[in-house]
Amino acid sequence: MSSDLVSIVRHQLAAVIDDTPATEIDLDASMADEYGLTSLNKVLFLTSVCDEAGVELSHFTEHDVASMATARDVIDAMSAHADHSGAGV
Amino acid sequence: MTDSIINRIVAAPPAPGHTITVARLDGSHTVDLAELYRASGRVAAALRREGIGEGDRIGILAINCLEWVLLDLAALRLKAVTAGFEPGKFAAEPALIERYRLAMLFTADPGAAGHPSVRAMREVERWAAGSDPGGAPGPVEYGRRETTTLKFTSGSTGQPKALAASVGSIDASLRAVQQMFTHGPGDNIFVFLPLSLLQQRYWIYSALAYGHDVTVSTYEAAFATMRRTAPTVVMGVPGFYETAKRHIEGQAARSGTGAAAAARRLFGDRIRYLWTGSAPASASMLRFFNECGLPIFEGYGLNETCIVSKNYPGASREGSVGRVLPGKRVLIDEDGVVSVASDDPVNVRYEYCAPGESQRVFGADGVVRTGDLGYLDEDGYLFIRGRADDVIVLDNGKKVIVRPIEEQMRLSPAIDECVVFCPTQTHLVAVVSPAGAPPDGRAIAEHLARTNRVLAADERIRTVVVADTRFSIDNGLLTSQYKPRRGQILDRYRTAILSSEEGVHVL
Repeated sequence: MSSDLVSIVRHQLAAVIDDTPATEIDLDASMADEYGLTSLNKVLFLTSVCDEAGVELSHFTEHDVASMATARDVIDAMSAHADHSGAGV
Repeated sequence: MTDSIINRIVAAPPAPGHTITVARLDGSHTVDLAELYRASGRVAAALRREGIGEGDRIGILAINCLEWVLLDLAALRLKAVTAGFEPGKFAAEPALIERYRLAMLFTADPGAAGHPSVRAMREVERWAAGSDPGGAPGPVEYGRRETTTLKFTSGSTGQPKALAASVGSIDASLRAVQQMFTHGPGDNIFVFLPLSLLQQRYWIYSALAYGHDVTVSTYEAAFATMRRTAPTVVMGVPGFYETAKRHIEGQAARSGTGAAAAARRLFGDRIRYLWTGSAPASASMLRFFNECGLPIFEGYGLNETCIVSKNYPGASREGSVGRVLPGKRVLIDEDGVVSVASDDPVNVRYEYCAPGESQRVFGADGVVRTGDLGYLDEDGYLFIRGRADDVIVLDNGKKVIVRPIEEQMRLSPAIDECVVFCPTQTHLVAVVSPAGAPPDGRAIAEHLARTNRVLAADERIRTVVVADTRFSIDNGLLTSQYKPRRGQILDRYRTAILSSEEGVHVL
């Protein structure tokens, strides 16, 4: 797993949910239940992560997005594409 | 009915040169509108071979996709009636087919296969790609009162009630919108809300009638698609723009660029205007986008009335929902309650509703009682002040309209949503959906104190109950159009609302 990718996900999630510092985000917590991430915020969050990680959002389907419940789910889904896209390893 | 836009778009293909782009996360597909028309003819021919004809109902339960658009146009060309069901709200099950008497239900849900009336959306793709030059449907013509589609709206029985929309009401809205916004060859209208909402399909009809591009995406692909296609117009509800505003503010702060530049990065650099309606928009959000150089125009309408009023370039007044459209009349009774009369009503009754529901909303003459409170200023701009049933009458006889109070509370960055209740007719209690997790109790309390300072004595909030989780569509506390569901919020937090101890008090 790329440490840069973890950092990007933490940083972008913290930016969307406010109030929880990036370092304190529990990667295994439900983003909706624990951090109040709305479906629209989730879309913005993923778009921002893809931008910063250099991963094309087009690698994913609507079904993939629906199944990303935790930050770790996002990291795992991005990892497969981040290495090929040149995101920090 | 010579002047019908619906009749015009079903009669002949548009001139080539304008396109529909349908986008999902994993890619997009662009089709010339003239080819869209021809493909809809092939789908109509296939439907007819399957036994679908005038008056038959076709259910569509799927996320936004090209097949959705093709089915809708094919149904129009056969005078079949569409019933759009939003995924997540409805399940593709036999009860749905039986309840709404569907001749066919099209769905992408593989679990629904097996029922004789269920068809996969993939079948539409196959029909559209086929060749059947001799099988295109013959000409059809609609009368003003004929209906093309069922709209669904929440009902008191727990089951959505239906409203069949008349061709005249669709024509009148399209014509009025075109007069106001003059959509034309340089425009690309962006739609991401579900096509099961009839008004989202208006922009496809508009593209066919007036010659402009249209882009339809899934909800998940909305932001990626906006950047890729650079639309000139975005159709969104206030909740969408509120979320976008927070994102833009955050991006601007982090990048050190201004909000206007961050807004252009999100919406693209060709925006002519942003459209909003369906729920009250906050003044701060509207001002934000206007100051970013993205003019935003709020309007007013209900499922039962279609678009009643709209601000537009050259006729926009802050705080109002615009001037009343041609063919509509706003009637305001002595209590300030708004009713709407239309030359071409959407309908005059619901279907599949509880006894008395139609009579409560539709007058004998077709006038719709909206339940909203409002007034018209001297220049004809309509102002909506809240819901008549959101007026709280205190035990001292004083009437309090809660919406302005809720809007004032929402100005805090710590507060996402606010709903005010009056549990004992003596004082107000607010339930707030926090913007952050954990909630910033101190910021909420400070904002409560600021809010109360500008309110009259009877309007002050005594206690704020901070919801344990943000209101959302998923947890049932927001409607699909991001409106708080008062009843559900009251049920969820009744104990805390009634408690004199719990909650945030003024600092």
